[in-house]
Amino acid sequence: MTPTVLSTLGVGRKARVLDVGGDAQLQQRLLEFGILPGVEVRLVRVAPLGDPIEIEVLGYNLSLRKNEAAHVHIEALP
Amino acid sequence: MTEARPAGESTRNLRRDKHVVALLGNPNTGKSTLFTALTGTRQKIANYPGVTVEAKVGHMQFENTELTVIDLPGTYSLAARSPDERVATEALLGRLDETPKPDGVILVVDASSLDRNLYLATQVLEFGLPSVIALTMVDVAKTRGITIDLEKLSRAIGCPVVAVNAPKGEGLHELKATLHKRLHHPAAPLSLEFPPEFVSAVDALHLKLADLGVTLGYTPTRPEALRLIVDAAGPLFEEAHEAGGSAFDEEFSKLRTQACGGKSAALIEAQARYGRISAWTREARTQEKIEGRTLTDRVDSILTHRLWGTLVFILVMGVIFQSIYTWASPLMDLIESGTKWVGDLVGSNMADGPLKGLIVDGVIGGAGGVLVFLPQILILFLFIAILEDLGYMSRAAFLMDRLMSRFGLTGRSFIPLLSSFACAIPGIMGARVIEDRNTRLTTIFLAPFMSCSARLPVYTVMIAAFVPDQKVLGFVSVQGLTLFAMYWVGVLAAIPTAIVLKKGILKSKITPFLLELPSYKMPRPKAIALTLFEKGGAFVKRAGTIILAVSVIVWALSYFPHSQEITDKWESEREKSSYPLKTGSKLVGEFGVGIYTFEAAAKLPEFQKALAEYKLIGVRYSERIAQIEGELEEGQREREIARAGEIRAEAYTGLQRDLGRYKFLAISEYADAEIWRDERLAEIDSAEAGEHLRNSYMGRMGRTIEPAVKPLGWDWRIAMAAIASFPAREVVIGTLGTIFNLSDADETSEPLRETLQKAKREGSDEKLFSLATGLSVMVFFALCCQCAATLAVMRRETNSWRWPLASFLYMTTLAYFGALVTYQIAHALGG
Repeated sequence: MTPTVLSTLGVGRKARVLDVGGDAQLQQRLLEFGILPGVEVRLVRVAPLGDPIEIEVLGYNLSLRKNEAAHVHIEALP
Repeated sequence: MTEARPAGESTRNLRRDKHVVALLGNPNTGKSTLFTALTGTRQKIANYPGVTVEAKVGHMQFENTELTVIDLPGTYSLAARSPDERVATEALLGRLDETPKPDGVILVVDASSLDRNLYLATQVLEFGLPSVIALTMVDVAKTRGITIDLEKLSRAIGCPVVAVNAPKGEGLHELKATLHKRLHHPAAPLSLEFPPEFVSAVDALHLKLADLGVTLGYTPTRPEALRLIVDAAGPLFEEAHEAGGSAFDEEFSKLRTQACGGKSAALIEAQARYGRISAWTREARTQEKIEGRTLTDRVDSILTHRLWGTLVFILVMGVIFQSIYTWASPLMDLIESGTKWVGDLVGSNMADGPLKGLIVDGVIGGAGGVLVFLPQILILFLFIAILEDLGYMSRAAFLMDRLMSRFGLTGRSFIPLLSSFACAIPGIMGARVIEDRNTRLTTIFLAPFMSCSARLPVYTVMIAAFVPDQKVLGFVSVQGLTLFAMYWVGVLAAIPTAIVLKKGILKSKITPFLLELPSYKMPRPKAIALTLFEKGGAFVKRAGTIILAVSVIVWALSYFPHSQEITDKWESEREKSSYPLKTGSKLVGEFGVGIYTFEAAAKLPEFQKALAEYKLIGVRYSERIAQIEGELEEGQREREIARAGEIRAEAYTGLQRDLGRYKFLAISEYADAEIWRDERLAEIDSAEAGEHLRNSYMGRMGRTIEPAVKPLGWDWRIAMAAIASFPAREVVIGTLGTIFNLSDADETSEPLRETLQKAKREGSDEKLFSLATGLSVMVFFALCCQCAATLAVMRRETNSWRWPLASFLYMTTLAYFGALVTYQIAHALGG
């Protein structure tokens, strides 16, 4: 599986988080919400206007903008 | 008393058995429901100045223990960034004066998303405060196949876990009992596995803080030293930096580098916490595989669907918007007529004079002006509370975020702004849901740009009077188009304002739009009712006092100096109006020997009886006409009106036959004189009011600024109406009426429209209002912030006069130039 970023994941696909970047504030926020290396995420849906996206992580649903999801490095799972 | 207590309880303990407990947890965990279930409905609101964050304070009793419970704002972490989180953290540590320092914590944890909820728990448990975990949403978790072994979880965490179902009242007693026990037997603070260099750096910082004399009013604890390392930009750091100066800064950055060794502090913290959490849940949680999708997921596939989701969204917004308009108006009418009734009642029992004016127009009128907004506020908050409870608000933000982010706002700004089309006040109050301070301030600043329902009367009158009733393209009414355009004026002014604000002074460090999409839940009527009661009360109390004061000031400025000379002059006019009813007519001689005047004749029973009959004919005729106009179709009317006229003529002829020609004429002359006197009295009342107004301080102000508003096509009277309508823009209609010497003007009355059409510029024959002037007045009112209530609420929500002042100045300037440009262009085009 090639590493990529969360914003490019297809709807319904699952992925494992490899690394979380972004500025200090965004990074801390993402980590607190449970998006940290090793965690599995699933892309649930994309908003009708194309942004933001909804993901499932640690058993709950979270919405984030694509430019934020671009800082989450992942490897897509089959 | 003491004897009745169980053994071991001393009087010293009895006195000490008062505790303060903080209720802390993530948003959407059912924390507020639990709070209400524990403490009942008698809650107090603690306001933290500077941030407009509120915490509720309630009380509960367990055995001999009095517990004060503080419901802190929902937060995901103690790393304080949003005002809500900052308050939660600071209040938990007892660093705020408004609420006492808690000596125990109830951690509210949602069983359906246990991991993320326990993150905050790990942070709190490190402080070692006696804590109990209240596990909510166990039933929701069960539907997802999640079972939690409370015993195992308690043992793993080292903190008692109690399952509660607040709406059903389950687990509350056990929660209280466990908390009670815990408060007397605290446990050791939680200790997590951080990397050794991190631990030693935290220990070093803990000691260094005391060395450097960084006291923060007390010596910071070790968990605080840890928070300092991970939140290098938090409030703790700011204070430590203040207290310790450059010596602290130097030492701090050295220790921080040492602690993290090239990694990010946030990552070290998150890994340590989530590492421990997964160890806990591995032991205590079993996850069954559930086939099929959850209910929330199925509902969401409709509600956030490209087509259906958008349709539902538009429908929901439409219903909210319509309800604010339509449900509120009968209630508003009721409040208005109630105010008028009270005013009349008080007025009729008071002698004329400034005191009566102050009480009736200033105080009662002002109070009515406050209360009249209440229905709209309550209706909007009813919807917001239901949608919030359901979980739809976060979906609405999810849908609209893309659109709003183009203007530097977020999805959460949409509903406050939309509702501002009904009234900016609930909109501004609704902006509380926006986490980021700058985005929230921008939203608050934009709210009054949306054309609220109070602008509608201004538009209606001006359009009816000056916009031609024509159609373009055969079906589009020009009047309707103008109204539509007025609504767009505000929006079009708001967009560049938003962009400039967000790029300039209210630039946010791009705040993450991380938004939890909680599972859908049934709304709780009790909690909603409580919210409505609170919001309504807060509005009446805070905004009310300011609006009342402003109303009284505006009243005083338009009442005084109230020269006696003017009063006397019109008093003598009043007397003159009854002269024709007193003087004689040779016809009255018919009523008897020695009767020379109407005054004398009016005392005779025969005269009175005849007059009553005469008047009755007129009354019956008008009643019939009103009936015809109300009931019949256009085509049938004319015939019926003619018929009514014939009946009246017949009745007069009959009366004349009974009385004799001369007596009949005398009666008819007398009745006409009465009508004339009544009309004249009404005229005098309004002329007197008009003259007093012209001579008042407000009138003088209007005349002073007249040169400035001339380019807008206005004269001093319009200027004065604009100034006087500062407390509430809809007042402008009444004020224009008074100024143009109309005694009773409201937006539907024909006379006001006609009077405005006929009004001439002073000292000339030129019409005051043209289409251009009408448009200029409308554009002014579309853009100005003439609403004391809005400004008062803005002050309350931002906790500073800076924002309402800036808003008023900015919008007034914008309104002035908008009206100027409108008038000049329309005038040049011949309007």
